[in-house]
Amino acid sequence: MAKLRPKAESQGEGPDGGYGWVLVGALFVSTSLVFGLMRSLGIFFVEFVQYFDESAQAISWISSTGLAAQQFFSPLGAALCNAYDTRWVVMTGGCLAALGLILASQATCLVHLYLTMGVISGLGWGLVFTPMVATVMANFTRRRTLALGLAFSSIGLSSFAFNPLFQLLVELYTWRGALLILGGLSLNIVPCGALIGPQRRSKAPAKVVSESGVSCASFLQRASSYLELPLLFERPYITYTLAISLLNVGYFVPYFHLVAHSRQVGFSEYQAAFVMSAAGATDILGRIASGWFSDLGHFRLIHLLSVWTTLAGVFIMLLPVSSLSGSYAALMVISLLYGFCSGALTSLVFAVVPMIVGVERMMGALGLLQLIESGAGLLGAPLSGLLKDITGDYTASFMVAGGFVVLGTLTMVTLPHYFSRKDPPPPKSLSPEDPDKAAELKQMHSSPSDMNDLTGEVTNNRLPEDTYS
Amino acid sequence: MNLLWAVSALLLSCWRANASTAPNIITEPSEVNNQTSAVLSCNLTETTLHIKGSHWVYNGKFIEGSKSEEATAYTTLSLYNISHKSAGKYECVFLTEPEVKQIIEVKILPHVAATKHSEHGNENDIGVMVCVSHGYPLPTDWTWFKGEEGSPPTPIINGTTDKYEIKSTPNKTTLTINDLSIENDIGDYSCSGTNELGTNSDKIHLRVRSRLAALWPFLGIVAEVIILVTIIFIYEKRRKPDDVTDDEDSGSAPLKSNSTENHKDTNVRQRNSN
Repeated sequence: MAKLRPKAESQGEGPDGGYGWVLVGALFVSTSLVFGLMRSLGIFFVEFVQYFDESAQAISWISSTGLAAQQFFSPLGAALCNAYDTRWVVMTGGCLAALGLILASQATCLVHLYLTMGVISGLGWGLVFTPMVATVMANFTRRRTLALGLAFSSIGLSSFAFNPLFQLLVELYTWRGALLILGGLSLNIVPCGALIGPQRRSKAPAKVVSESGVSCASFLQRASSYLELPLLFERPYITYTLAISLLNVGYFVPYFHLVAHSRQVGFSEYQAAFVMSAAGATDILGRIASGWFSDLGHFRLIHLLSVWTTLAGVFIMLLPVSSLSGSYAALMVISLLYGFCSGALTSLVFAVVPMIVGVERMMGALGLLQLIESGAGLLGAPLSGLLKDITGDYTASFMVAGGFVVLGTLTMVTLPHYFSRKDPPPPKSLSPEDPDKAAELKQMHSSPSDMNDLTGEVTNNRLPEDTYS
Repeated sequence: MNLLWAVSALLLSCWRANASTAPNIITEPSEVNNQTSAVLSCNLTETTLHIKGSHWVYNGKFIEGSKSEEATAYTTLSLYNISHKSAGKYECVFLTEPEVKQIIEVKILPHVAATKHSEHGNENDIGVMVCVSHGYPLPTDWTWFKGEEGSPPTPIINGTTDKYEIKSTPNKTTLTINDLSIENDIGDYSCSGTNELGTNSDKIHLRVRSRLAALWPFLGIVAEVIILVTIIFIYEKRRKPDDVTDDEDSGSAPLKSNSTENHKDTNVRQRNSN
C-alpha cells in the first residue's frame, strides 16, 4: 500500500498518499470546526452585548480566552499523544469542545461564558488541533506542505460559510439554541479523530518504556520527554520559535485593524468589509498555491518561508502607505497581496518544524511552538491598539507590525545551515534501534510497530523485499 | 431746554457708542425646527475689530470646507437633507481678537431606531429589546407599547409588575421582559421617544421559541456523530483483523504461522517455507 522509500530518505517517513488524504479531509473538517468556528463567533457577540448588557470589550474576552486556551493547552495535547493514543486524545478534545459550547448555551452570566466557551472549549480545541496537524504531517513527506495548505484553506472557507449559517441559527433558535447546535457540530471532530486509526508511531514512549515505578522523579522525567522540553535547549528550535513568535506579533494586526483603518481613511462600511473579504479570499488561494509550489521541491522550505514572511511584512507596512493617496484600488491591491502572502506562509510554518527537529519529536515541538507563539500573539493586538491611541491613526501600528514580521524573518536567517542548498539532516533519534530500520518498518507495516518483536522477523524475511520496490 | 436736549443727545450717543463696541452676531434663522434644509447665516455687526476670516463648527468639530479667509462680517452655511446625522449645534466663528461666535441650533424630531427589528427569546428566559436615538435634541421621554393587530397599543409601565423592566437614557432605552411565555408575549412592541418637537417611534417584533426547539437538531447531529464513529470503528476492525492478531501473536513464532497475514508476506513466507 505505501510507496517504499529509499533508505537514504531520513527526513520524514510518511507514506504520502492513500489514507493520508483521508486524514487531510479529517484535518480539514476539524480545523474548520476549531478555527473557522472561532472566527465566526462574532455573530454571537452582538447578541451577548444586548442580552448581558455588557461592553463589547468584555464580550471580546470570550474569544481571546478561547484562543489563548487553545494555544496554551497545545503542549498538553502533544504530551498526551506521546503518552497515549492520538485518536483518543483528539476524540476527547472534540467532546470537550462540544461540552463547552453546550454548557455555554445554558449560561446565565458572562463569567459562565468565559469558563465554558473560553476555557473548556479552548482546552478541547488545544487537544485537537496540534495532534491532528502532527498526524497529517507524519503521513506525508513529499506532499506535506500541499496537504497542510489544503487543510488550512478550510479556515477561510468555513469562516466564510459559517457567518451566514450562524446568523441563520441565531434567528431560528435564539443564541442559546444556536450554541447548543454548535456544540453538536463540534462533536463532528470525534469521527475525525477516530479516522486517525490506532497508534501508528513508535514514539518517545519506547525510550522510556523501561521506566517503572510511580516516583515523582520518573514521572517528571517522562512528562518532560512527552512535552519535549529538552527541545527548549536546542538552538535551532529556539531560534525558529522566536522567529515565529515575532511573526505572530505582527501577523494578526491587519485582521483586527484593517477594517477600522479603511473606515478611518474614509471608505464606507461596505468598501472596508469588502477589502477584508478580498484579503480572506486570496488567503485561501495563497495557502493552497504555496503548498503546491513548496512541494515541487525547487527550493528549501525555509527559504520559501522567509520569502513569504518578508513579503507579508513589507505589504503590511505598505497598507497605510497605499491608503495615504486615498485610492481604493491601491488599498485593495495591497490587501490582496498581503492576503496571499499571509496564507502562503501559514502552510509553511508548520511544515518546517520536522525539518528542524525530526518527525519523531514533531508532535511535542508543535505543541511548544503553539504555546510560545500564543504569548506573542496576545501582545500584538493590544500593542497596535495602544499605538493607534497614541498617534491617532493606524500608520504606526501597521509599520510596527510589519517590522515585527520582517524581524522574524531576520531571526530565521540565523538558523544553522540557513544558507546551504540542501536541508541539513534532522537530529538523530535517540531510540536504541537503528532509525533507518525503524523508518522501513513504519512504511511497510503502517501499523503500530512493536519494535522488539518484529526486528527478528525483519532480519529473516524483510530485507530481500527491498528489491521489489 | 436746549441744554437738556443736548445732554440727552450726548448720553444717547455715548450709550450707543458703548453698545457698538460689543460685537454682536445676528443669526438668521436663530433656530431651525424640523426643516429639511436651511441656510444658516451670521452677520457680525457693530464691531471695529479686524476680521481675519470665519469658519463653522458642528458639535464642537470644525466643518471641512467652511473656512473663509475673506474679511467679511457675513458668512453662511447651507444645509441640505437635514437628518439626525446633521442636526445639532452649529456655531459660526469669526476669527477676530478675541474670537466671536454664536450658536444656531438645528433641531429635528427624534430619530428612533430599534437596534434589531426582530427579536428572539427563549421560553421562560428573558427577552431584551433595545431602541436607540440619534439626532438633536435627544428624547427626554421614552415609552414602550405592546400592540396587537387591530387593537390599540397598550403602554407598558415601569415598576408595576415584575415582568417588565425599562431602563432609559437619552439616547438608548432597554425593555427587559422576564419569564417569556409563548402565548402572551409574542407580538409587536414599539418604543417611542419624545423631545420638545414631537414624538417618533419604531416597531420590534418578538418571537418566543420553545426551549426544546433546538434540541431536535442537536440530537440529530449527535446521532449522526455516533453512527459515523461506529462505522469507522467497525470498518477498521473488518479491514485489519490481521493486525489485531499480529499484536496478539507477537513473539509467538510468526514464522511458523500459516495464517493469512499481510499479502506482502506470502511470497516471502512461501519462499522460506519452501
